[in-house]
Amino acid sequence: MDYARSDPDTLAIKILIAGGFGVGKTTLVSAVSEIQPLSTEELLSDRGARIDDTSGVEGKTTTTVALDFGRITLREGLWIYLFGTPGQDRFWFMWDELAIGALGAVVLADTRRLGDAFPAVDFFEQRRIPYMVAVNQFDGARRHDPAVVRRALAVPGHVPLMVCDARDRESAKEVLLTLVRHAREMSAVRA
Amino acid sequence: MAADEDPDPGPLVRMFAVTGGRARAVGEAFDVIAVVTTIGMPYDQAGLSPEHLAALRVATRPTTVADIGTRLRLPLNITRVLLSDLRREGLVSIEAPAATAGVLNERIYQEVLNGLRAL
Repeated sequence: MDYARSDPDTLAIKILIAGGFGVGKTTLVSAVSEIQPLSTEELLSDRGARIDDTSGVEGKTTTTVALDFGRITLREGLWIYLFGTPGQDRFWFMWDELAIGALGAVVLADTRRLGDAFPAVDFFEQRRIPYMVAVNQFDGARRHDPAVVRRALAVPGHVPLMVCDARDRESAKEVLLTLVRHAREMSAVRA
Repeated sequence: MAADEDPDPGPLVRMFAVTGGRARAVGEAFDVIAVVTTIGMPYDQAGLSPEHLAALRVATRPTTVADIGTRLRLPLNITRVLLSDLRREGLVSIEAPAATAGVLNERIYQEVLNGLRAL
C-alpha cells in the first residue's frame, strides 16, 4: 500500500461460514451479528472477461449473487465480519477471493445431508485455512455421535468438531470461540 | 438475450451509470474487508460522482469496503471501482485486512477471544 497504516489498532477480521444450501449459515450469522445480515450483491462478470485484460471489453456481466454478511464490533476499530459463502458450486471462485486473508472458517453441517459439507471441508483442507465443523442440530433431527460425523466427513483429528444450535446466540458464540482458538493454535504451529 | 427478458436490469444499469461501464478496479486489488479511510477532500468536486462523494463521507471514519457498499447500496464490484478511483486521486487510503497483512499476533487473538466472551 502507498499509505502508512493510519491506526495500527484498526483491524477487520474475516470469518467464513460455509456449508450446503439451507444448512443455517444466515441463521448462524444472525445469531451473533449486531446488524441484520446484510446482503451485498456481487456483480459477476464472466471469468473470461476477468482474465482477458487486453480485449477492452468490460462488463460481460451475466449475473449477480448475494453475499450475506454480519458484523461484530469488539471495540472501536476491531470488527469481526462473518461471511456466509454462496452455496452454489458455480460461485466457487468467489470463495477463493473471500478466503484470502480469512482468519478461518466454520463448516456448518446437517446430519441429514452430510454430503453437502464435503466440498467446503475439501476447500479449506486444500488451502490450509483453519476451519472447524459445526453440526447444526435441528429440532427433531436425530442425534449423531460427533465421532461418526468426523469419520463420515474424513475430518482430521486436530480439526474441532462440535454440535451447535445455529439459532442460539450462546451456541454461535461458542462456535466462533472454538474457531478462533483453533486458528491461534494453527498460527502458533506455523510460526 | 437475458437482458431483454429481465424486466429489472437494475445492477447493470447502475453499474454503467456509476462507473461508466467499468467492471474492474484500478490498481492493486483490495479485500472486501479492507479498511478505507478518507485522507483528503477534493478541491474540485466536479469530477466526482455523487457516489464518489458519498463514499468519501462514509469513510471519514475508517470503514470496510463491505460496509461502504452496503451504505451506498451498491454491489461490491462497483464499490471497488469507485474506491479505486478515490485511491488513485489520493483521497482515500485502503488498508489490507489484518490476516493478510500478517498482523494477527497473539495479542490480537487474545483480544478477539476476550471480546467474543464478553458479548
